[in-house]
Amino acid sequence: MKRGLIALLLIASAVVAQEVTLPSPHEIVGPPRGSVLSGAELDAKTKDVASLLRCPTCQGLSIYDSPAAMAINMREQVRDLLTAGYQEDQILAYFEASYGEFVRLEPSLSGANWLVWTAPILLALLGAWFVVSVLRKREPAPVAVSERNPDNDPDLEPYILKVRELAWGSPGRIAPLDSKSVETATGREAVPTGPPENEPRSESNEGVGR
Amino acid sequence: MNRKVLLIGLAVVVPMIAVLALSLGRDPYSVRSPLVGRPAIGFTLQEVGTGTPLALADLEGKPVVINFWATWCVPCYAEHEVLTRVARMTQSQVQFIGVVYDDDPRKILQFLSERGSAYPTVVDQGGKVAIAYGVYGVPETFFVDRRGTIVAKHEGALDEASLINYIGTILGDAR
Repeated sequence: MKRGLIALLLIASAVVAQEVTLPSPHEIVGPPRGSVLSGAELDAKTKDVASLLRCPTCQGLSIYDSPAAMAINMREQVRDLLTAGYQEDQILAYFEASYGEFVRLEPSLSGANWLVWTAPILLALLGAWFVVSVLRKREPAPVAVSERNPDNDPDLEPYILKVRELAWGSPGRIAPLDSKSVETATGREAVPTGPPENEPRSESNEGVGR
Repeated sequence: MNRKVLLIGLAVVVPMIAVLALSLGRDPYSVRSPLVGRPAIGFTLQEVGTGTPLALADLEGKPVVINFWATWCVPCYAEHEVLTRVARMTQSQVQFIGVVYDDDPRKILQFLSERGSAYPTVVDQGGKVAIAYGVYGVPETFFVDRRGTIVAKHEGALDEASLINYIGTILGDAR
């Protein structure tokens, strides 16, 4: 039993040390186009590129942010590719060859993807245009009663005539005082708008105007 | 005005309904693999237990079922039984390969000794082959026809009916 276990462990340790054979990245994305990175520069670039790749086993996390085993393995591959001199776009293309464009956290600006980038702006502009056109076409609100000019308002005319009749006796021929006549008291130029001199008027009604 | 509102409403709603209708029956979490329809990526890995190198290229001309799994994967337990049973049934026509994703070889050997096996199992340390195949998680299975083209990919545990159906696809008319 013990000998069997030891044999199994020996085999297992041998398996761990063995290398995987796969097509080289050169066959997928061509020869490296960048410079070979190392040290702090390699660390920084690994973080940059890993932040652009989606962790396949996570929800919306990059392989840089994810602690998943798959993300760690992919991060290692990113580092290896940068060490070999591959550029960022080559590395993204390398993973895209296996996972499709889904592996990119941000879709590239090509093909139908233009729609993804431009549709929100276009829809916002369309919405703004719609709101402005609706507001422009809306009918003006009815003028408030206080803003009406009673001199030209046919609705108010009978009431004005009635008031004038009550105040001055003869509505059709009596013009009321306006604000300009009030200004005479302040010494400004007076524009007589009161009843003609020859018109009879009662004393008690003097000064009544608008 | 009402007509304009109706047209704008239709312009918004109709495409939405079309997209929803086209997506009915699709698994929203499933992403189509770009590898389907393309030649299977060649790899060489060591067999667990014997250490014998196993190269996909050596199986040229024979349909292959490549199953990615791991000992820590619970659905893989039930799937392993199905794979073993069907592999025994079809061993003269189809080659099965179990690729264990980034796992401890001792656990793999223990798993296989307890549950049996009908096909070679290789270990993918570092998950390089799994990443090259765009594996999202285990279990995932790729079906390669006799010309070496990936015909289908199945995400999740396979049941017997689905597996036989996939094998029918990779065997084609020759079955």
